Amino acid sequence: MSIELLLALITGAALFGVGVYGALSQTNLVMIMMGIELILAGAMVNLVAFWRYLHPDNPAGQMFVLIVMTVMAIEMTVGFGVAIARFRAKGSVEMEEATDLKG
Amino acid sequence: MITAQALYIGFFGLASVWFGIVVFRTFSMVRSALALLFSQTALGAMFLSMQAEFLGVLQIMMMATEMSIMAIFMVMFMMDPGGLGKMDMTHQKRLSLVAGIVSFVAAVAVAVFVDWGPVASVAPDAEQQVVDLGLELLGRSMLIFETAGITILTAMIAATAVAIPPVKRNPLKGTANHEH
Repeated sequence: MSIELLLALITGAALFGVGVYGALSQTNLVMIMMGIELILAGAMVNLVAFWRYLHPDNPAGQMFVLIVMTVMAIEMTVGFGVAIARFRAKGSVEMEEATDLKG
Repeated sequence: MITAQALYIGFFGLASVWFGIVVFRTFSMVRSALALLFSQTALGAMFLSMQAEFLGVLQIMMMATEMSIMAIFMVMFMMDPGGLGKMDMTHQKRLSLVAGIVSFVAAVAVAVFVDWGPVASVAPDAEQQVVDLGLELLGRSMLIFETAGITILTAMIAATAVAIPPVKRNPLKGTANHEH
């Protein structure tokens, strides 16, 4: 295996790990979204690396990256919509206080 | 042999991960958003190092706007966006740390121990990549591309519908209207 592919995959793994830590440890909705962004960024690095070093002649690899970018944009859109609604209703986006649906 | 490309990928990868860690280490929400912007920009530079020119530029442009909006929302929603009060906004830190480390180690193990097959030494040039991607988007992957567009539109409409304030009906006014 080439060193470039290995470096890219390790970077993706590290971003994924940092994102998982952030998404689970933060109590603020916007900070949780930042963690999810990092998780998706980790996936994106892997996709670009796989396209470049394993299948550079197949543009479908780049298509996957565009789809992940779309997912990032949708996550931001819906997340901020929910954040605005939550802030208007409760005056805060702290998820520790979001126990409305708790059984 | 370590090539210049490997050095650039390593440098930008390290920068991306470092700024990713800084996101959750600072008390200032604005600094968090800026750190995420730098992390994603380093990732865009890493894509450029991997000769994915279109994706690299797209990543940098998209994340610059996305993180600027995120910073604005941070200032809007936080009581202390500058982090002067050093308010702790974390919970279950030990569990999160273990989950993060386990997922990192598992992903690295997969990266190291899987046989990925032969590695391509050259990639198509930037112009050819854009041509190929354009033909892919408007050919075999058109349905996926169109679905992604419709999904974004739906998400925008849904987010706007959720975000606009509920209409407050005045019962007295309603009664008055009814009487007329």
